[in-house]
Amino acid sequence: MKDGPRTLVILPCYNEQHSIGGVLDEVAAAGFECDTLVVDDGSQDKTYEVARAKSFCVRLSSNLGIGGAVQTGFKYGVRRDYNVCIQIDGDGQHPPDQIQILLEKYTATGANIVIGSRYLLNDTFRSTRLRRAGSVVIAAVMKVLFGGLRVTDPTSGMRLMDQKAMRLFALNYPADFPEPISLAWAACRGLRIKEVPVQMRARTHGRSSILGIGSVAYMIRVLGYMILARLTMRPFRQEDSLW
Amino acid sequence: MVDGHGPNVETLWVIGLFALAYMAGVFRKVSRHRLDLYDFMMLSTVALVPVAFAYFPGLAAWMAKITGVEFPFVVMFGLLFVAVFIFNHNLIGRVHKLERENRTLIQETSLLRMDIDNRRKKNDAGEGE
Repeated sequence: MKDGPRTLVILPCYNEQHSIGGVLDEVAAAGFECDTLVVDDGSQDKTYEVARAKSFCVRLSSNLGIGGAVQTGFKYGVRRDYNVCIQIDGDGQHPPDQIQILLEKYTATGANIVIGSRYLLNDTFRSTRLRRAGSVVIAAVMKVLFGGLRVTDPTSGMRLMDQKAMRLFALNYPADFPEPISLAWAACRGLRIKEVPVQMRARTHGRSSILGIGSVAYMIRVLGYMILARLTMRPFRQEDSLW
Repeated sequence: MVDGHGPNVETLWVIGLFALAYMAGVFRKVSRHRLDLYDFMMLSTVALVPVAFAYFPGLAAWMAKITGVEFPFVVMFGLLFVAVFIFNHNLIGRVHKLERENRTLIQETSLLRMDIDNRRKKNDAGEGE
């Protein structure tokens, strides 16, 4: 991949001391040229110390949530002029060897965003039934609102973004439930979104923040933000970017 | 000031004293820079609107008449609600603005700290050689 795009892998983490070291080792072993940036979202454990020994690591002085952590990575990527960045979770759910699949799709299509989807094929870990149903609803609403945009896994946290997408999101990125809302923003701004099937694993440590009644609130907010985006946003222009 | 249908003298005293004590308390916080003058103005409506309605019952009756409301105190609570709503609306906007600014500040200082740490690390490695 020496002639490939300059790639940054962003790994947002919160209390992932048990998994982040292994994930970074897997990225290094995956065999493609990239830099890694771990964004420690104010962990109370040894995440920062473990990550810093193996990667660039930025430690947020306070917990900002997944949106704030990932946006920090985008800012870093834009300022250091990376061509693409790839976001994967620090908890090991996203096998780093799948990054190559995202890169190949990007090279083949030139899409601004490539999503790694759990649901395009039936041979991988697919989350709970409730979550899958939620994804189906969000995807259906997205299709209606954004001119037939076909996405099967709008909540996937494994995504590739090119410079245009990075610039857009470095400037403004949703703080809560960022994956589906940021896709809606990207669709409104005229960015091209593609999907590719990837393998994912079940989480080995920690627990999801979207549980029980929280999942209903999640759906309502996500759908509301998507409708709001459809009503208020205009296409992205280069001069919108600060960088 | 008080006709046959207005509040009695005791009520006027209670409302007046409450207004003075409340506004003095809020003003004390303003003088200690814990609130600003805008907060003082908005919070004072809680005291001033009942004072206006108690001391000028004719005004209250007139407002009830033009708004088509039977009881003046309904108009009073309506006005208080509007004042509290406007104050709340502005506060929510201010909180969100501060939240965004705070988020940006945390991100930028953290990135800056990483840069400084990396340079220091590089310098230390250079000195070691």
